[in-house]
Amino acid sequence: MKEQIQRIKDELREALSSFDNLDLRELKLVEVEANLRKLRDLKIRFTGKKSPISEAKRQIGALPAEQRASFGKLIQETESEILNSIEHLERELASYALDLKTRVESLDVTIPGFRPESGSLHPITLLRQRIEDIFVSMGYAVEDDREIENDYYNFDALNIPEGHPAREAEDTFYTTNGLALRSQTSTVQIRAMERRGVPIRIIAPGKVYRNDTPDPTHIPMFHQVEGLCVDRGITMAHLKGTVAEWLRRLFGKGTKIRMRPSYFPFTEPSAEFDFSCFKCSGTGVFEGEKCRPCKGTGWIELGGCGMVHPNVLRNCGVDPQVFSGFAFGFGLERMCAMLYSIDDIRLMYENDVRFLKQFR
Amino acid sequence: MNISYNWLKELIDFDFSAQELAEKLTNAGVAVDSVEPFGEDDYVLTFDLTSNRSDCLSHLGIAREVRALTGNHLKSLVNTERIPSDKPSDLVRIEASDCYRFTARIIKGVKVGSSPDWLVRKLEAVGERSINNIADITNYVMHELGQPMHAFDLDRLEGSRIIVRRARKGEKIKTLDGVERTLDDTMLAICDVCKPVAIAGIMGGEESGICEETTNVLLEVAYFDKNSIRQTSRRLKLSTQASYRFERGVDIENLIQASNRATELICEIAGGVDVEFVDIYPARSSRVTVELRPDRVRELTGVNVEREEILRILSLLGFILQGDFSSDKLSFEVPSWRHDISIEEDLIEEVIRIVGYDSISEELAPSFGAGEYQPNEARKRNLRKVLTDLGFSEAICYSFIDISHDEQFELASNFVNEGLDEKFITLKDSIIEGAVRMRPTLLPGLLDSIRRNFNYGQRNVRLFEIGRAFAALSKEHGAFPVERELFAIAMTGGYMLQNKALPIRELDFYDAKGALEAAFDALNLPEPSFKPENVRHLRTGQSAAIYFGDRRVGTLGRLSDSIAQKYKFRQPVFVAEVDLELLLSLEEEKVFYKKLPSFPSIVRDVAFLVSKNLSFAEIRRAIKEQEFPLLSRIEFVEVYEGREIPEDMRSLTIRLEYRSEERTLKEEEVEAVNEAVIEFLKASFGVVKRFS
Repeated sequence: MKEQIQRIKDELREALSSFDNLDLRELKLVEVEANLRKLRDLKIRFTGKKSPISEAKRQIGALPAEQRASFGKLIQETESEILNSIEHLERELASYALDLKTRVESLDVTIPGFRPESGSLHPITLLRQRIEDIFVSMGYAVEDDREIENDYYNFDALNIPEGHPAREAEDTFYTTNGLALRSQTSTVQIRAMERRGVPIRIIAPGKVYRNDTPDPTHIPMFHQVEGLCVDRGITMAHLKGTVAEWLRRLFGKGTKIRMRPSYFPFTEPSAEFDFSCFKCSGTGVFEGEKCRPCKGTGWIELGGCGMVHPNVLRNCGVDPQVFSGFAFGFGLERMCAMLYSIDDIRLMYENDVRFLKQFR
Repeated sequence: MNISYNWLKELIDFDFSAQELAEKLTNAGVAVDSVEPFGEDDYVLTFDLTSNRSDCLSHLGIAREVRALTGNHLKSLVNTERIPSDKPSDLVRIEASDCYRFTARIIKGVKVGSSPDWLVRKLEAVGERSINNIADITNYVMHELGQPMHAFDLDRLEGSRIIVRRARKGEKIKTLDGVERTLDDTMLAICDVCKPVAIAGIMGGEESGICEETTNVLLEVAYFDKNSIRQTSRRLKLSTQASYRFERGVDIENLIQASNRATELICEIAGGVDVEFVDIYPARSSRVTVELRPDRVRELTGVNVEREEILRILSLLGFILQGDFSSDKLSFEVPSWRHDISIEEDLIEEVIRIVGYDSISEELAPSFGAGEYQPNEARKRNLRKVLTDLGFSEAICYSFIDISHDEQFELASNFVNEGLDEKFITLKDSIIEGAVRMRPTLLPGLLDSIRRNFNYGQRNVRLFEIGRAFAALSKEHGAFPVERELFAIAMTGGYMLQNKALPIRELDFYDAKGALEAAFDALNLPEPSFKPENVRHLRTGQSAAIYFGDRRVGTLGRLSDSIAQKYKFRQPVFVAEVDLELLLSLEEEKVFYKKLPSFPSIVRDVAFLVSKNLSFAEIRRAIKEQEFPLLSRIEFVEVYEGREIPEDMRSLTIRLEYRSEERTLKEEEVEAVNEAVIEFLKASFGVVKRFS
């Protein structure tokens, strides 16, 4: 029996001899894998069901009882010896195989990830949504109405009587059946007050039209946002505070605003409002050069505002002795152009995908 | 309008530098656009005045603003205080009510020549070219006092008299600019006894103008109706410094001073004797009085301005307190140069603009109600998000399109009133040539945009737009049109990956359809049906109409070859347009949890050879209607056309999924049902299973 064991061991040594001088570094992955297969076969040959070890185990029962234990132990030891030597090699080879595989399958992680190309929202939409979010959070309702209006809503109700210069300006588009493309979103002030009555707090973003020759700062169709707040005891301080508040929410806490007297038929007193430049923080200088959005003045002119003219209130059935209110309006294209440093607003209606994809 | 800093100082004293002055005036509502040095020691301030402040269109006007800011007095310019004769005179007759006041001055024995240097320089400062001493003086006084005036050669006036009347239709006059102009009976003309010699308030005639030989001058200083001048100026397309001022309103009480000032300068510079001065003032009206409750200043501006301060500011601006200073209502007479003050709020603005808008504090209005978005804004934002995620960029196109697009596109259902002769809304004129049609569809705008992208070398383009389309509702004049919000997509080129140079394949009909399906999901709508229908602007066989129930909401497909040809598109373009308003009016799908299956399913993928006339939807519906036992789902796997398949056929692979809620199914029982399905299709459509 002992000889039998010794023979098995010799055979194993013989079988494993080819691994003795194996220099792993010289092997390719396929060779390593072939050797691993060889080891698996050896394991089966030496310890599998048909192996001499298994044969020897089966013979244990035939031995005299007193020999069984020692012989059993011997076989057990031999088996683990065999397994140890094979598995040691297996581990070594497997680990090397993994190394090789890892090296072969390594990726260039800088290559772009797989994702369908995405589009983007129009910069006007992006800005409109931000502004709507701010005003809704301040308790305003978002309103809109007709783009094609009659003279009453576009002019008369807004205290722009026939013969008024603003009305005779040649830049209003008229339709052949006597209607006007609204030249300002102030029309929505009237429509909304008629619908909702007062008190009221609304903003009205929308398209407006002026028959202007397109150039880098003019286009015949653009967007305005109109704001209106009418209630008892509304003052110019509320106007100034509201304009300052939403501009601060849009451009940051440090934003300052300034109002200058101006003239609009539908407000009295009237003002234009400017805000401190978001780029140079009102200094007029950015990175040592004259700041572009504010042209070095530190201030950006944004829009018009004022206290709603008593005639406008009366036209909407509101008693100006009881109620007062403020209104403001500004152009989205102009604001957008400043925000994103776009030097030609005509680009906004070309729908060039190289342009559109820049905004998010 | 330009003002010379030094000239202004002749009218009032102040300590501001030109820069400071510009800033102070701007903050008081008289906006200065720029300050430029002029000559050695002068500055020119360029003003950007609002249309209501015609009173500021002169050095005197700006000086009055400086008076309000500083409290300093105006300096007197005119030495002679000659009062015109109020005796009836043959010299001037007013026959039209549009002329409110007319003064005529006769100065004899002048010598026309060039102006002295100081006069030339001053005119140059405000941007005027020197002509001759008489013309220069009238110009000078206009810039100084704001009153336009005109000098005639008295000897070239037929009958040496002036008649102010409406022109007769067809009357002609050659104006000083050398252009012959035809007048009509809405226009006010200054005439001699036979013909117009000037277009009132706008421009004089060449024949009666001052020339080198002139020795006797008739100086006209008058006031005309603002609207009359504006209309005439519009009709003649002729705008001058004079018309600009008259149509905004000049100071009717300043005529005498202006005439005196000009006469004084003419006598001094050109020689001559002031011999006659006539003032016809038929339209003398009472001055406007406006009441102000001092408390209202605070109520409207939030700034507490004392009653004394209110009075001080308004007095400096030329308003005259009438009656009691301590009463609840202060009554102010409006100065004759202010045409823009008629209500209490106007006075409040006067006070607060001088106090300074900077003194207004910042407060938030007390809250009222909750904020709200427009109905459906959330759904629209979802829609936009899904489309951008799918690779579409948002376009905004002009609402007016070229009339050449008419009749090219099928329009949204139930939108255009086909019974009308004029179905569309048309602009009288448009700055963009040909673009006078208010768009009844968004597609032309998107296709134009695709064309533009091609021109810029972009061949992979996916665009969408949400916007209004317009159509007439009735033929009644002034009737509001329909404004309908539509949603459209247009796509062409390859299916691109972000940051990768090549497309993975070309886009096709199903990409457009997939985008629409995703859009409908974003709007939380039930499942639509797509029916093969012919659509005017789409290629037959690749066009579908979209329905929710029996409501047709839009169309989808490949752009027709004829339209593609017009645009010179050399690759397929896919478009869809749906009625967004209609979609948003449909009831939203309510979401309820469905129990997850407890037992595994068995699937069978079966390839059928089907005629191209038979759609997947039809096959699916037919199988569904049979309610085969265990059959829980019918899914599309793939379609194949090409080799081995006859031209009028397709290979359509369908996945049939079998499931029981009670037990795990056995292969044999599934096989039996699956065979039954295949038999059914063969029996009802003649559809044969491939590979059997």
